[in-house]
Amino acid sequence: MLENSFGHPPVLHAQNLYRSFGATTALNGVSLEISLGESLAIMGPSGSGKSTLLHALAGIELPDAGSLALNLPGQPPVNVQELSDKARTKLRRGSFGFVFQSGLLIPELTAEENVAMALMINGVPRAAAIAQADQALIALGLAGMEQRRMGQLSGGQMQRVAIARAQVTGAMVVFADEPTGALDSATGAEVLDTLLDCTVGQGKSLVMVTHDPSVAAQCDRVVKLHDGQLISDSRRGTSVSGGDVR
Amino acid sequence: MNILHFAWLLGRPAKTRLAPQVLTVSAYALVSAVMLIVLGGAYSFTRFEAEAQGTYLPLAGFAVVLLIVPLMVLGSAAARLSARANDRALSSLRLLGATGSQIRSVAIIQASVTALVGALAGVVLYLACAPLASLISFQGSPIGTAIYLPAWVLAAAVFAVVALSAISAAVGLRKLMITPLAVATRRSVPVPSWIRAAITVGSILVLSLLFTNLSQVAQSIAMVLIVILGGFGLGMLILNLVGPYLVSKVAQSKLKKAQTPQQLLAARMILENPAESWRQVSGVAMASFVAVIGGSGAAMMNATSAQEATNTWYDYLPADILTGVLLTLAITFICVAASSAITQSASTLDSAELYSGLHRLGMDWGTMNAARVKSLMVPALAASIAFAIASTLLVLPLAGMAIIFSPLTVLTVIAAVVLGLVLVRISITVAEPARLLASRE
Repeated sequence: MLENSFGHPPVLHAQNLYRSFGATTALNGVSLEISLGESLAIMGPSGSGKSTLLHALAGIELPDAGSLALNLPGQPPVNVQELSDKARTKLRRGSFGFVFQSGLLIPELTAEENVAMALMINGVPRAAAIAQADQALIALGLAGMEQRRMGQLSGGQMQRVAIARAQVTGAMVVFADEPTGALDSATGAEVLDTLLDCTVGQGKSLVMVTHDPSVAAQCDRVVKLHDGQLISDSRRGTSVSGGDVR
Repeated sequence: MNILHFAWLLGRPAKTRLAPQVLTVSAYALVSAVMLIVLGGAYSFTRFEAEAQGTYLPLAGFAVVLLIVPLMVLGSAAARLSARANDRALSSLRLLGATGSQIRSVAIIQASVTALVGALAGVVLYLACAPLASLISFQGSPIGTAIYLPAWVLAAAVFAVVALSAISAAVGLRKLMITPLAVATRRSVPVPSWIRAAITVGSILVLSLLFTNLSQVAQSIAMVLIVILGGFGLGMLILNLVGPYLVSKVAQSKLKKAQTPQQLLAARMILENPAESWRQVSGVAMASFVAVIGGSGAAMMNATSAQEATNTWYDYLPADILTGVLLTLAITFICVAASSAITQSASTLDSAELYSGLHRLGMDWGTMNAARVKSLMVPALAASIAFAIASTLLVLPLAGMAIIFSPLTVLTVIAAVVLGLVLVRISITVAEPARLLASRE
């Protein structure tokens, strides 16, 4: 595969993605490449198709038409749209990390167990998973909070637990949907810094849906959607506009 | 817009609410039909001679009373499921300014209407099953047409089901907080452990005294029945006090040993609220309790009557008590299965967003379902075994070694425990997250 202008081979290559829900077209011919080590913000008004695009890129939902190729370092290329639901579930837990606005942490589990769960469902024994989870939590400034339940953590701390869970498996691509949306601006900025450090800071890719221009401004690249179409694609310092960007 | 209009808007059949609505109506129909069959059986005893009625009617009354508890539990679960199925709508109504009491009224009306539909379906089911139930034999002959209840009894039973569901809905809703932002379950403050311990020890002492001195305490069959019923009530109290503690101990042990995600999740789900876990399986424990007491009672009657035939109604009593015990067990299981299905569905809907989210993160439905099933079956198994042993020890001074370990008692208990667990396992398949949530999306 050709290297793009970012200097790395694209890990995700989406071509002509279409997705509709009844009469509403959520994605209308979106093509996009995402490089290794790149942070990409997806912006657009409500209903523009941001979350649908994120779900399609992460293999959560299949597009009605179009293709999505995944090309992770050291692994054979995968055409995501050809995978079964079960295979896509396996792909998500093994190759991708997720940080959602609501955190989606399991309230019954402790912080370390929430993080360890990501490893355990990939077959890592419990003791080893807990040890790795503790390391990840400590690295994110949550030392001493490993045994706390979700109700005993603040919003920012919970998002750090979610980030630890997203990165502990070594996933090369992390998807985030409004990860700072439920936080105050100071906590949001801290969480965003942590998220960037844990992803692009370690050579991984970050794909993030956000409404917040200040959050998007910290990413290497910003794409904007409107009515399911990609209307602009800009890097820091440059800007490209049009339907089929790239 | 009045409350009835709200109730109709939120409660009318809709695709998104279909699964919980069908489940709730089916559960009410099942319990109503079973209750009517039991009442029909009890009603048929009125054709016996007066002396036999004196023994049979209190026993039948006992079986009917036993049914009220699962029915109340079921009504409460149905109300909570109904509120859960409509949680967003109820929250939105709160946001629009509806008061808490208006929302509760809407939910109680919905539960009552659901119960009414279910009870009417139950009458139809009762009429359909009556020919089969009429073959059950008491006093040496089948019940026959005596199983058919007069119309006024049917109407009264329907009214009773609706009233009980409304009352239990009101009680169940006190445990739910319907706020403008969400519907959540209110946590009740657990009874301190020393109070539990004191009541348990006290109850065991009273029961032991009662049972070892039964011949002095009770001179007549009626008195024996009263003492055994009292003992049963106390036993139930002990069950409910010790149950949550037992469940949490088992879960703690499972947590230590957990190696897979489903084992870890299941143990944590139980420990999150051991009292709720216990409540969900208490019916199974009650069934094994009934099995030991009833089974040994039947074996005892069998042993005494084998020696002396009196050529009176009394000769049929042992076999009839066994039939009654088996029927009571079957009924208990049906109620437990229906309650499990409904509480598990409510629990799945409770965690709908989390389940869907975890699936997005890459956790497959199978893992989530296995954790959910384990979180119910582990306490169910522990409760069945522990309470079969406990009630054996309790009945031992009363019945003696020979009766307790007679094939009839042992077989009744084993069959009850196995059947109960299998039924519960089957019933909770309706609450599989993938299945239940798919109908919601």
